[in-house]
Order: sequence, then C-alpha cells, then structure tokens
Amino acid sequence: MEQTSTVLETPVSAPTLSFKGKGSELFGIQIVNIALMLVTLGLYYPWAKAKNLQYIYRKTELAGSPFTFHGTGKEMFIGFIKGMGIFIALYGVLIYGSLHIETDPGLYFICLGIFFAGLSALVPLAIHGMMRYRTSRTSWRGIHMGYRGTLGAMYKVFLKNLFFTVITLGFYTPWFTANLRKEIFGHLRFGNARFSYEGEGTELFMINIKGYFLSIFTLGIYSFWWAKDLIKFYIDNILIEQDGKYSRLDSSLTGMQYLKLALGNMFIMVFTLGLGYSWVVTRTLAVLINNCEIIGEFNPDALAQTEEEYKNATFEDMADMMDIGII
Amino acid sequence: MFEGKYYNGRTSKGMPAFIILEPHYIRINWQTDSDNGTEVWHLSEMHKTEFNDATTVLEYGTFPRQSIAVFEQGFQQALEHKYKGATFLKSGYSSFAKTGVKGLLIGGLGLLLVAVALFFWGVPALAEQVAAHFPKEYEHAMGEKLYEQMLEGYTVDSAKTVALQKYLDALEVKSDFPIRATVVENEAVNAFAMPGGFILVHDALLDKMEHHEELAGLLGHEIGHVQMRHSTKAMARSLSHYMLLSVLFGDVSGVAAVIVDNASSMYSLEYSRKAETASDKAGLALLAQNNLNPKGMVWLMERLNSNEPEFLKFISTHPRTADRIDELNMLIEESKYKTAPNPALETAWEELKGE
Repeated sequence: MEQTSTVLETPVSAPTLSFKGKGSELFGIQIVNIALMLVTLGLYYPWAKAKNLQYIYRKTELAGSPFTFHGTGKEMFIGFIKGMGIFIALYGVLIYGSLHIETDPGLYFICLGIFFAGLSALVPLAIHGMMRYRTSRTSWRGIHMGYRGTLGAMYKVFLKNLFFTVITLGFYTPWFTANLRKEIFGHLRFGNARFSYEGEGTELFMINIKGYFLSIFTLGIYSFWWAKDLIKFYIDNILIEQDGKYSRLDSSLTGMQYLKLALGNMFIMVFTLGLGYSWVVTRTLAVLINNCEIIGEFNPDALAQTEEEYKNATFEDMADMMDIGII
Repeated sequence: MFEGKYYNGRTSKGMPAFIILEPHYIRINWQTDSDNGTEVWHLSEMHKTEFNDATTVLEYGTFPRQSIAVFEQGFQQALEHKYKGATFLKSGYSSFAKTGVKGLLIGGLGLLLVAVALFFWGVPALAEQVAAHFPKEYEHAMGEKLYEQMLEGYTVDSAKTVALQKYLDALEVKSDFPIRATVVENEAVNAFAMPGGFILVHDALLDKMEHHEELAGLLGHEIGHVQMRHSTKAMARSLSHYMLLSVLFGDVSGVAAVIVDNASSMYSLEYSRKAETASDKAGLALLAQNNLNPKGMVWLMERLNSNEPEFLKFISTHPRTADRIDELNMLIEESKYKTAPNPALETAWEELKGE
C-alpha cells in the first residue's frame, strides 16, 4: 500500500458551501411523511421532521463533505408532546376567554394577557432548548456543533430587549434582533471553532428605513432588494474564529436573484396547489447556500471535537410551533 | 476494495483509506503522512445510511461517531449486494424513492385527492362538530347578533309579536334557550329558527293558519331546530371555509363574527331530511306535552302543501311535504292521548288573529 498513499493525498479542502438537494427527492420524502401523518393523525410529525432535516443536512455540503443531522423522531416526539401540552393549555385559556367576550370582557382581557405572557415567557426557553438540541445533533465529518449559552442569560437578553421594544413602541426591534443574534451566535461552537455575530441594531434599523421608503416609492419592487439586504445582514455578520484566526460568512445574493426566487416560489405554490412545496424548499436553500462562502483562513480540515454528548429534545418542536426559525 | 476518506470523530481531517467489505464486517485501512491503522466495523453498530448520492457516507459507533465517505458510484450497490437485508441499509424512504417518477405521480395524486376530500368534506364536518359544542351562552350571544342583523331587512309587526310571545309564554316548552319569537311583515309563507332560541315568523304564514294547534306545531318544529342546533350546525357547515381562514389567521373569536356577518345565508340554509323529520317529531312532542290536538302538525303541513305559488319557495327547501304528512299520521296513530282545551292559548291566538 506504500505506493498508493501519494495518490490519495489531497490538498487542504477549500471551505465552499453548497446545497445539492433536489425537489423531486424531497417530494418523495414528503409524500411518505404526509401519508404517515394522516394515518397517525399527526403523531408522526416528529419523525417526519427528523427525516426532512436528515435529508436537508445530508445534501448541504461544506468543503465537499455533507452535514449530518443525528436527531431522531423518538427524541423529538417527547418534546413534541410536551410542547403540544403547553400550547393546548395556552390556547385553551385564549379560547375560554374569547367565548366570554360578550358576557365578560374583563375575563377575556385577562385570558388574552395570560396567553401573551405565557407565549413570551416560552420564547427564550424554546430558543435555548432548540439551540442546545439542534446543534448537538448537527455534525460534519463527525465533528459536532454545540451551544454553550445559559438559559438565564437568554432570559436576561430577551426580557431586557423586549422591555425596550415595548416602551419604544417597537422602534427598538432591530436592536432586539441584533442583540438576540449576538447572544445566540456568541455561544455557538463548531468543534474548536467559535462563532460570533457582529451586526448592530443601528445597521438593521437603517436597512429597514431604507427598505421601507424605497419599497413605497417603487410600489413594492424594492422589497426584494430589502429582503436581500436583510439576508445579507443576517449572514455576512457571522464571524468564525479558529485557532486565533478569523473568517467571515459572505453572501453574494443579489436582489434580482431574490426576486426570481420569491416570484418563482409563489408561482410554484399557486400552480401546484401547494404540492410543489418541496421544490420551494430546495430552490430557496440552493439560492441561499450556494451564494454563501467563507472568507478568510478557515481550515475545514483542522476542526477538533470539543462538545460533550447531549440529549434533550423538549423545545425543538416548541420553537417549530412558534415559528422561530433561527438557522 | 474501495477508496475513500476515514474520519475518526476527533478531528475533521479526512484520512485516505481503503475500504474492504468482509462477509460480516467492514475493514478500513487508513493512512496519513505520519500514521496508519485498521478499523473493524461490525454491521450491528453501523448507523442507518440514507439519501446517498455520488458520495456514500457511513457512520459507526457511539459518540463521537467515526465515519467514512466513499466517492465511488459502485460502493452503494456493493453494500446492498454484500449486506442484503442489514439494518443499516433499510429505509422505507429509499424504497419509495426507487419507485421513481411513477411512485411520485401516484403518491402526489393520492395526496391531492386526500386534500380535496378534506377540503370539501372534512372541513365542513369538523366545523359542524365544533358548532355542536359551542357553549350555550356563546350560542345565544351569537344568535342575538344574527337576529338583530336579520331584523334590519324587515318591518316588525309589534302587535302580533306581543301576541305571539304571549302565546309562547302560555305554552309549556322545554328548551336550553329562552325562546323569543318575532312576527315580521312578509308575503312569503316562511319561518326561521336562529341559533340561541330566536324565531322569526312571516305574517303571511300566520294569516294562512286556521287552528292555533298549527301555530303550536310550527313553534314546536322551530324550537326543535333550535334545540338540536340545526341552524348553528348548518351555518357552520356552509361557512366552514371562512371559519377556517379566520382561525388560520389567528382570530379564534372571529368564528362567531363569520356567522353573524353572513346572516343572509340563513335564507338559503337547507336542512337535511333527517333534521326536518326530527323537528317534526319535536313539534308533535310539544303538542302532546300541552295536550293539544296532534293533527295541528298535519294541518300545518297541508297549508304548506296547497298549490299557491308563494309556497313553492318554502316547499323547495323542505323534504317532500306529502311524505312528511304520511310520517306524521303514522306517529299520531302510534301514540294516542287525550286532548284538552287550553283557554290561555286560545285567548292569545284570538289576539294574534286580530279577532
């Protein structure tokens, strides 16, 4: 075997990102998922979700190697049941209140208050739980990601920013978004590589002001460029530190590409009566991921395993139900 | 023997490796500049592998997992050939994917059919179920709004309404809701029962009646609709898609608003034959409870069955009147009871007829 070793030597892999998923393949998975969910009256959902994620991760490549999602339906099922329980209870309160809206408006507002208070108290818990679980279940070439944030810190950031957002009647929202991402990415690990988020609320605020007014002046056409700016704000500000060297994610997405993507997706959904959803997912991921690259000295061959094994899927589905999409 | 990369689960450095498929395990000979080694992977500890393409990825063992990636096309086939039936190769999803375009088309069409069935049958059925479980106060409040909405298109005959209410008060009625009846001016021979105990009677129908037992029968019939929530259920059924939209947009309280906003749909509500029969029975029961002549129901039907044109509208939304009369006569034969005069009802009736 001596003579073959030189043939097998490869140079350091370039850290390119790519998405290789196909709509038809995902559709095949979704058909099985939906059929099984119908038969089980929806209880199959966690398994369906695991399978979806497994496919999507498997088709996302860094330096030519795919990511792996290790989560299982069984793990997520427990979280699904707990999450459903909490949601049913909260919605029960809301429905109870709205049934009495005529006879007892006071009771209705109390129920509404409980519902929203419960919901906002759940959000940090859901983000934290989801990050812990999702990252621990994500690996690449066997190296796991990890989330080291604490629940206390998450609550502190969330409630503080929520408070400012409420007293400024929503004007603080961009800072809220940026600070939340700083908290999340600041505790994200990929083996021995650490992430951080550099985006500032002011920058996001300016993007929104510009986007809002230009969209009005252009009768909505600029909204695609606005969306592109937002995506770039979310992606380009992600920094990776590895052995003291810094790299940055960079999206080369253009407004025109986003316009084609958004309009195309809309047509697919309308003309297939929603059955084309799988193609919408793969198209979107392909545009986002294939336009994304890592700029800097990131060495994908030099990652080392650092994270402990972690098992708890309680909030994976809760985040899902609240429609919190972070990564 | 296949060429690939071996990852040991401790670093991301891919080590060039040769993979040999032995009968009961996989052998991996890896080599780096400074080191080399051999791994033996038992089939039982291999993790499920799915969705492979040009690259086949296999994972092994407990945390942190080792893995190999093989870029040769033939590797997947060789695995399936060599380890036929092994757990790590089993995948329902991959089996389905192998059915190709045909499977996708059939599966997709099947789902489309299910979606259509759910939309046209499931959603209305679900809405009806939900409506049947509205709390009483909620249904009453909703009915009241609906009733106010309906009255906007009519002129109320207040004198007759007072008399009708007096008649109603003199009747012994069993109902979950307080019953409120209103007489409005309209030439169509018609009456409506709204959710929560609100009944609307056109004066033309009252004019046609000759015996007060007919009125008692009519009220019993309409109260039957109310009690069995026929109108609530039928409205929920016909408006189910609007209700679904309001729930989807997070407005749970909008369910009642949808019904109230569509008060005009009361006119075109069609009750099933079963619902009409059940309400006819309720009418008979009311007559029996008040010791009134059960023939009142039959007379009421005969009014509806005469050939005058304005009746057509009423008849068309009801099951065939002749059948209903036959059924009523049968029921009357089955349970005979002694009738007794009721002066309070007769007084109210005379007042109503303006005599």
